[in-house]
Amino acid sequence: MNIRARLLRWETLLLAMLVVIAGLNIAYSPFYLGVGNIVNLFQLSIEKIIVALIMTLIIICGEIDLSVASVMGLASCVTAWLFQMGWPMPWALVAALAVGGVAGLINGFWTAYVGLPSLAVTLAGLIGYRGVARILVEDRAIGGYPLWFNNLGQQPQFGPLTISIVIFLAMFAIMAVVLHRSALGRLVYVMGNNLQAARYSGVRVRRVKLLLFVASSMIAALAGLLYAARLGSVRGDMAQGFELDVITMVLLGGVSIFGGSGNLLGVGLSILVILNLRNGMGLADITGNTQTSVIGALLILSVLVPNMARMIHTRWKGRET
Amino acid sequence: MKWLQRHIRPEQVRELSLLLLIVAAVLIFGSMIDGYYTSRTFNRITSSVAIITVVAVGQTLVVLTRNIDLAVGSIVGCTAYFTGAQLAAHHGMPPVVAVLIAMALGCVMGAINGALVAYGRVPSIIVTLGSLAIFRGILIDYSGARTVTTDSLPKWLLELPRLNFVTIGDLDIRAMFALAVGIVLLFQIGTSFLNVARQFYAMGSNPDAAELIGMPARRIVFSAFVLSGTLSGLAGFMFLARFGSITVEAARGMELQVVAAVVVGGVNIFGGSGTVFGAMLGAIMIGTLEQSLFRLQISEFWRDAILGLLILLAVASDAVILNRLRAIWARTDLKLVARDSASPAEAKR
Amino acid sequence: MKKLLLATAAAAMLALIVPHGAKAQSAVTGGKAVDMVLLPKFLGILPFDQAHQGAEEAAKELANSKKLQYLGPTPENSVAGQIEIVTNAATQGVGAIMISNNSGDQIVPSAKAAKAKGIKVVTWDSPIPSAEGEDVFVAQVDFSETGKIMADMALSILGKDGGKFAILSASPDAANQNAWIDAMKNALKDPKYSKLELQGIVYGNDQSETSYNQALAMVDKFPGMKLIMAPTSVGIVSAAKAMQDEKLCDKIKISGLGVPSEMLAYTKNGCAPQFALWSFVDLGYLSYYTAYALATGAIKAEAGASFKAGRMGNYAITKDPTRKAGLRILMGPFSLYDINNVEAAAK
Repeated sequence: MNIRARLLRWETLLLAMLVVIAGLNIAYSPFYLGVGNIVNLFQLSIEKIIVALIMTLIIICGEIDLSVASVMGLASCVTAWLFQMGWPMPWALVAALAVGGVAGLINGFWTAYVGLPSLAVTLAGLIGYRGVARILVEDRAIGGYPLWFNNLGQQPQFGPLTISIVIFLAMFAIMAVVLHRSALGRLVYVMGNNLQAARYSGVRVRRVKLLLFVASSMIAALAGLLYAARLGSVRGDMAQGFELDVITMVLLGGVSIFGGSGNLLGVGLSILVILNLRNGMGLADITGNTQTSVIGALLILSVLVPNMARMIHTRWKGRET
Repeated sequence: MKWLQRHIRPEQVRELSLLLLIVAAVLIFGSMIDGYYTSRTFNRITSSVAIITVVAVGQTLVVLTRNIDLAVGSIVGCTAYFTGAQLAAHHGMPPVVAVLIAMALGCVMGAINGALVAYGRVPSIIVTLGSLAIFRGILIDYSGARTVTTDSLPKWLLELPRLNFVTIGDLDIRAMFALAVGIVLLFQIGTSFLNVARQFYAMGSNPDAAELIGMPARRIVFSAFVLSGTLSGLAGFMFLARFGSITVEAARGMELQVVAAVVVGGVNIFGGSGTVFGAMLGAIMIGTLEQSLFRLQISEFWRDAILGLLILLAVASDAVILNRLRAIWARTDLKLVARDSASPAEAKR
Repeated sequence: MKKLLLATAAAAMLALIVPHGAKAQSAVTGGKAVDMVLLPKFLGILPFDQAHQGAEEAAKELANSKKLQYLGPTPENSVAGQIEIVTNAATQGVGAIMISNNSGDQIVPSAKAAKAKGIKVVTWDSPIPSAEGEDVFVAQVDFSETGKIMADMALSILGKDGGKFAILSASPDAANQNAWIDAMKNALKDPKYSKLELQGIVYGNDQSETSYNQALAMVDKFPGMKLIMAPTSVGIVSAAKAMQDEKLCDKIKISGLGVPSEMLAYTKNGCAPQFALWSFVDLGYLSYYTAYALATGAIKAEAGASFKAGRMGNYAITKDPTRKAGLRILMGPFSLYDINNVEAAAK
């Protein structure tokens, strides 16, 4: 009950933040409420927020995947490389997703079956997968894809929505069901809370972990391809550094870095908070670095403030008794 | 064997094997690259390793306490820029003052991180992920995104990277590398023999127990971050001297190189084990690879892929081999204890 | 009476001249309020600050009541950052965007979207390679001339016997860098430069650490290299410092495009005997005039249009000979710097 009440408070806090930010945006920019702007607001970060969904599950499970951005880069570079070698685009895309799956298998194998810390394994992945991407495209920028591929990322396909926004929405629904309404989801929480107990209760901990890492990398690969479609051209440094933004979104959503707690609603709200904040600041001509530092501050405060409140609360209580 | 086990710890076996690996790498590169064994190669590797090593020493202390400091790249960038701007404005500033400014600024930034982690009870990855962005943002705003240019800096600073500490035969040991080695020695001795410093290990291997037996857990974590910040500040000064022109992007992403060096150097990411000396070896291993690979013509783009593999192998070998070694050591220790406790009884009889 | 006659005569002459001269010199009238965005490749390097300064000067002269927005991404986020800034500017419906493009054709979708909203898209310093989504490119110098000048500098530094050299560029996707390098390769086909041998190209991403390390790497990678040609202001300083730190200046010289104040010390001590650049202040100034003239409707983005850009005089839009579909305004000229004039220029 207590935990539930606190969680509830967390989402309320995010919602309040969102309302304040949206209010400020409406007050200060006449362009904010346009359909085009709302679509852009999602579209400019769409690849990151897709990855944030699966990252939520990984972190709740008590692990972390630092390699997502490199897998995004790798997938798009694989596609570009194969396309340049004369492969038909659809096959090049399938191959890229498969490479993403292999990357996930590698991460998952070392983490789940050998028992190495995922922080270290995926740090190796972060550097290594990026390295492979660079081997493939070196210093080149590869473009000139078929029009249908570029349109996939650049043209609205469903009303005003692009296909990547639709994918995000669908994935949000699927993840919500998996995490909150399925046995698998319950298991993810149990693993995050107490891995030992989960293992002893006969649960296939390893397989689930492997599954999560494979899913994480494949979704990252998909996101990388969407990014390539949006930009219409691929370079070796694509999506570099995105992992920090993705993890920030998840942690601001109230997911504990130690696993076991947090939910998708919170992450959804934190995504909205961050995107609206960025958009509002962008429309106010405040650029990237200031945006990033404001979000950095928000991240620290989001954990610090409840901590302080609790500390003061306990001290107060201590004095009373 | 028993003698060996009495005098060498498993961690030292690991460091020894890393050392052998470095020697092997140098031999392999030497056989593949013409003119590899020159003083220039040595200089190249040592100068590139010096800065990373200093930061890695601080990172080791933080990681030992079961935390991580991702803000080091931003701290190095900030201190390099700020110190550079001060030196550009006051050319007469004595070198010592410049170094102190850099370290003091780093110390303050580390203290902010440390306070939030130790007293605010915010997980270190969150704090430093946030401050990584905040410090960099402050730097860009403070500087107006302008560059500290080489021509505005005093001459002594720009000549610092070329300064030799001592010349052995053909090899120049540059002052900056000597400084890095000095810091490693200082902290290695400190963490090995000082009781205060041993607490870093105790904290990391079991924080709850450490707190229970009355260790000042918070103060230990706090001081680890302060030291990490201060050393990053010093590294910032070295960075300024080495590269001369400092953009607001200076040292961005250095945290990854540093964490990689620490992990390759055998410091357990979950705290409690590993040494400063190991971290330096890690930095040297990575530096040797980086500075040698591109000389094989094809390999510039292979560097990161190989580095990733190296980290994975380092961590895997830690988990698999080191644990086995520890088990062997533990068994022998038990036997030794058993024999030692048995022998007095025998003597009585 | 006489005066009146003269005036009429003059008017009549003008009336005669104008139809023949195809397009008239368009007047750029100041005092209109236009939202304008100046977008550098990224923040934090000197030449872009200078361009900003020049643009502010033009803004003041034209008495534009709207403040010029100088917005840029950080280098590591340059591509995504430029796209975000262009997209937001399009949403805000500004009058004109001036882009120094660092993202190759990746910027095209967002630039097209901006253009579709009636925003004038002027590129400067570095164009959009395919010219899609771009109104006109303000070229600092003729890109094929850059190639020739680099070849000339290499020859004059290395002497008649020539020698081996390599190029330290910025990022592999910087359209201007690539055009200059191609132009230089073309220029090298001239028998005059037959003794010059290009060993390879490496990229320092316009970051001082990377450029410094790459310059050192080049020493080993390209045996016998006698010259590093760096057509980037960050690369040339870093390379010069690297050679100086390694005490290699007597064996390997540095040249390329650099800012005099940054290069002063290295030219004086012989590490970088000769380099070139144009005025980035003027480039910012001219880009602002161009964008303002387009946004206020004083000129149209078509070949043949011309206007007077304040203190810099008359400029005309022409077809860009270096890109198939592009239009450009050519600024120029180059200034060559060596030991004789670098000190004066550095002030």
